[in-house]
Amino acid sequence: MDAVERIRRTVAFERCDRAPVIAQVFAHAAVATGRTIDEFVSSGAVAAACQLEARARYGYDATFAVLDLTLEAEALGGGIRTRPGVYPAVSRPPFARDADFARTPVPDPRTAGRLPMVLEMAKALRAAPGGAFVVGLVQGPMTLAVQFLGMEEALSLAADDPDRFLELLDFAAAVSEAFGVAQLAEGAHLALVFEPAGSPEVVPPAFFREMIGPRLERLFTSFRRAGALANWLHIAGRTAPILPLYRTLGSDIACFDYCVEPEPLLPKLDGHRVCLAGNVRPLAFVTSTAEEIAAETERLLRLFERRGGFIVSSGCEIPPESREANVAAMVRTAIRWSGSQT
Amino acid sequence: MDPQLDSLVDALVDGERERSVEIVGELLQGGLRPVDIITGGVERAMAGLDRKCTAEQFNLLEIMLAGRAVMAVIRRLFPEDATLPDPRARVVVAVLEGDIHDIGKAILKILLAGSRFRVIDCGKDVPVSAVVEAVTRSEAAAVCVSGLISSVVPQVRTLKSALSGAGLGDVRVLAGGAALKQCTAATLNVDYVGQTAFDAVSYLESMVEARLGRR
Repeated sequence: MDAVERIRRTVAFERCDRAPVIAQVFAHAAVATGRTIDEFVSSGAVAAACQLEARARYGYDATFAVLDLTLEAEALGGGIRTRPGVYPAVSRPPFARDADFARTPVPDPRTAGRLPMVLEMAKALRAAPGGAFVVGLVQGPMTLAVQFLGMEEALSLAADDPDRFLELLDFAAAVSEAFGVAQLAEGAHLALVFEPAGSPEVVPPAFFREMIGPRLERLFTSFRRAGALANWLHIAGRTAPILPLYRTLGSDIACFDYCVEPEPLLPKLDGHRVCLAGNVRPLAFVTSTAEEIAAETERLLRLFERRGGFIVSSGCEIPPESREANVAAMVRTAIRWSGSQT
Repeated sequence: MDPQLDSLVDALVDGERERSVEIVGELLQGGLRPVDIITGGVERAMAGLDRKCTAEQFNLLEIMLAGRAVMAVIRRLFPEDATLPDPRARVVVAVLEGDIHDIGKAILKILLAGSRFRVIDCGKDVPVSAVVEAVTRSEAAAVCVSGLISSVVPQVRTLKSALSGAGLGDVRVLAGGAALKQCTAATLNVDYVGQTAFDAVSYLESMVEARLGRR
């Protein structure tokens, strides 16, 4: 069974040979293959080569068409700070509070900034032999909104002028949609929606439900129309209060972070055919031993053995500086696991 | 307790900035001293916020709005320097070099100011040496570092020894933020790792009380 079929069946809660393992390896692929993060984020071709080489080494089921998380803000004129050895970061938001979001054009993913590099990456990953599942990535509307204006400014706007804030959120959702649809057109099997700013640690669950949820729902509908094999919502932090909403928003896969205990969560997901992906602690790949990672992976596999609908993964991105033995331990444990998926 | 002070506490916890400042104006007109408004209003609101924001319910939006209201009240009461008189201790806050995400630090700063700590903000993306310098200059009792990305971990690990090297070994080092809170204090070589900004404030309050108790 190839990786694409394995993931398809797992998401559909159908029987398959083993639980898929999707290590959230982005720039770690560069570090593990002897390139720098700077090289990785500056070229779609280099980043794709790193992804393919890392997958060949570790043996996990998916590659990621992802460079870093500043692309959209950069494409809109935001200031980006670069420093050797770390990801670029947004140093100056592209907009001020009084910007006219309703009239601001959405950047074209085929021409704006480094967005085309991600499309090139998706295409190269899909064309490569080996049958890996190709995961694209867009940042969700709330996450882009706080990047576009700055966290404090965006949250203040949400409180002081909700109508203007919704204009910003709609503009951000349009940016996510255009970028995701373009990634799907170039070959990504799905476009993961990364929405950490929607976490209950940032905004209350009611805010997520009423303001962010409807925009995510539209995004997922659009991605499905564009051919996504599934939809995947990734929100970090303590997401237990909002996880039961994911399925109704149209997400087939839900990441759950290391701080979300799966045992109490599962009864709340009864009747929700949402596939869970998680939740080895990301920093454990830097600080723990391979034995500890293997034990944690095995604990998760045992826990989900009867339910199925589970993808072995980390709670969030595997840090670039992670120990290779630790990533290998998670993948090896998942592949060797003798349990069955229902 | 003055029912208007109760209203102030509610308004602050709910993040109603304008209403809070309005109530403070009325309290001052009624003859209440600023220091009584702080102890009977602001400090009670901070405690109420702490109770409301358990680890499971902590969210930046509500904390930020409440903090914004608290800062507006402090500015109204002490327009000269917008800090509370008679601080419990001085605390340096910083985001270390390599990380420019400072929302966690901004929240902590507000909570510390509302809890009568004098805050010295080193900013973001700052080297360990600048933090040591700020502690030396301000004679701070503690340093709080916030880190969203894992690449700052190696620098956090060096902070305590850099302080010791400068003869500041008794200065407490606290860490928090999305990346750092995944680590133990031993891993980071710090005195304490907080899951939320309130944890850090509670730790510092206990530290001050213990030091006062020893005198």
